[in-house]
Amino acid sequence: MNMLQIAWKEIKHEFRDIRTLVFMLAFPIVLMLVLGTALTGAFNEDISIDDMDVLYENTNDSLSEPFKAFTEEVEQSGIHFKPLSDGMNGKEQVEQGKVDGYVSVDQSGFHLFVNDQSSIEGSILQGALASFVDRYNLVSEITKVAPEKAEIVFSNAVKHDYIDDHALVPKKQPGSMDYYAIVMTTMIALYAAMSGSQLIAHERSRKTASRLIVAPIHKRDIFIGKVMGSIVINMACIMLVVAFSKLVFHANWGEHLGLVFLVLLTEIIFAVSFGVGVSFLIKTPAAPTMVVLIVVQLASLFGGAYFPIENPEGILKVISSLSPLTLENKAVFNLVYANDSSFIMPAIVMNIGLAFLFLLISTASFRRGEGI
Amino acid sequence: MNILEIQDLTKKFDDFIAVDDMSLAIAEGEIFGFLGSNGAGKSTTINMITGLLRKNKGSIMILGKETSKDSEFVKRHIGLIPQEIAIYEDLTAYENVKFFAGLYGLRGGELHDRTVEALEFVGLTEKQKSYPKTFSGGMKRRLNIACAIAHQPKLIIMDEPTVGIDPQSRKYILQSVHKLNEMGCTIIYTSHYMEEVEEICSRIAIIDHGKIIAEGTKEQLKSLITDSKLIFIEVKSQEAIDVDTIYKIQGVTDVKVDENTVQIHTELGVNNLNQIIDYFIRNQLEIRSLDEKEPNLETVFLTLTGRNLRDS
Repeated sequence: MNMLQIAWKEIKHEFRDIRTLVFMLAFPIVLMLVLGTALTGAFNEDISIDDMDVLYENTNDSLSEPFKAFTEEVEQSGIHFKPLSDGMNGKEQVEQGKVDGYVSVDQSGFHLFVNDQSSIEGSILQGALASFVDRYNLVSEITKVAPEKAEIVFSNAVKHDYIDDHALVPKKQPGSMDYYAIVMTTMIALYAAMSGSQLIAHERSRKTASRLIVAPIHKRDIFIGKVMGSIVINMACIMLVVAFSKLVFHANWGEHLGLVFLVLLTEIIFAVSFGVGVSFLIKTPAAPTMVVLIVVQLASLFGGAYFPIENPEGILKVISSLSPLTLENKAVFNLVYANDSSFIMPAIVMNIGLAFLFLLISTASFRRGEGI
Repeated sequence: MNILEIQDLTKKFDDFIAVDDMSLAIAEGEIFGFLGSNGAGKSTTINMITGLLRKNKGSIMILGKETSKDSEFVKRHIGLIPQEIAIYEDLTAYENVKFFAGLYGLRGGELHDRTVEALEFVGLTEKQKSYPKTFSGGMKRRLNIACAIAHQPKLIIMDEPTVGIDPQSRKYILQSVHKLNEMGCTIIYTSHYMEEVEEICSRIAIIDHGKIIAEGTKEQLKSLITDSKLIFIEVKSQEAIDVDTIYKIQGVTDVKVDENTVQIHTELGVNNLNQIIDYFIRNQLEIRSLDEKEPNLETVFLTLTGRNLRDS
């Protein structure tokens, strides 16, 4: 009960603090508006792809017929398969950029060589081939059970749209406002660390810490109550930001808003715990907020909050992967634009795991120390 | 019955002994004054009583219960009025009192009634919906008191409650102390203002270097130095003062030189003022002022600790 009382008091504080409200609500909304409008050109949704030339070498006779049918089918989509000439090295041709891809078909299966797996062309080729392989495997299974029906799968009567079935690059692409709606929201959720770093320090600076400690309540209740209140208020702000961006900026938040909010909630739990943890690790009054501010800014910068970081390499890749926002944004973008929830769980596990670690440090320090 | 009993209480901060083997008993219904200079161990003792600090040795019993073992029971019966104003500026006066009273287990109608009573007690009923940021220093001090008394504690600890307020608010607070005492509360009162302690405390302890060096009613404390008086002589320069020569004057028991002021303890009834002045004139020590003090709490404190309470 005392825990809830403290949480409620915390919510009141935050709601009555105009600076916090402006920061948590107006700051992301203004940034969405400014960056989303200014960088519209950088998020062109119409992507034109030229025809693709692909070399192939087939040493697996059993696949000759179906593979030929496949190459004829994708010809209509602008993917031109040409057999590898004698003395020609397919991989070298790809490396030199003379062709878009090289496919080697042997007894062990298909081998695709492209210069950049994550390029749109590379993704289309992978998707088309994956689709073909799936269909071939399906035929093999049908042949074992009902041989007379196997031909239907590859017959001309059935229309195959290999690219549509398995294109790795999602059909939907975020516009600038869509992009900044998501990254600004995940960024401002991380800013909850700022209020986390001040949670206990504020009680000390207001001199109310002594009153809390002399009251007949457990230190644990004070700690959990304060953290809980901070999480609730930050989550409420985030929900308002999402609602505003959806209703006013018409940002796309996909069809799984519940899962998106779950990721954002765990991110806030992590952020608040991180802030609290830092305030216990660094005891000087102003230093924790400063440290948190620097970390959050760097995490935002390298996590793609101000501009998209696509296919980073070298040191940028390492730094980018260190930012929790990289995974948060990936999880939300994949969910919203590809209905792909595979990054949701890793993001949640990362958030909860890190939150647990920082809360552990904080509680150990809180229990050991005298007063607050 | 004693509401508070302290036995051999010790607190160390690394090598520094803040409270040194202190023992003390305070009876129910007393207004007990704690006198001591900064760093004497007064606040450390209060912090250990309220549970803000852990003790290194000894025992603290409140209402017959050991504070470290029955902390929840003990805390329920203590009200702390800290030296610094400890309120939330962004909660109204009512919300502040209600929040802190709620931490003591009060709920619903009882919580509301006690909150209203506490605000009424400190004269802030009219201001209950206002935010403390609009309050004067004195009003904030009164709200500080209300936050500590709404749960009706048996033992109220007031740590310098009148620092930095106007005379009217000070008078109001001192009257409140008496009223709370009449309502059955035992009060531990610390102050730098000797006259406040003299006015309201039924018993006083003087703390120095973590130890209680004197304890009793103000009359008992004054009786400790009834056989002497203090003479303060301020001179232009203290360089030529020979303490040993002053000691030789009949009736002088102690001499201290603090910057340009000479404190001379002399036996009561011995007429030696002429000789003392004569010494200063003969040695061409220009006298700027002279003050002779009969025993009071301040001279008791000075005599026992060698320091002026307000200067320390």
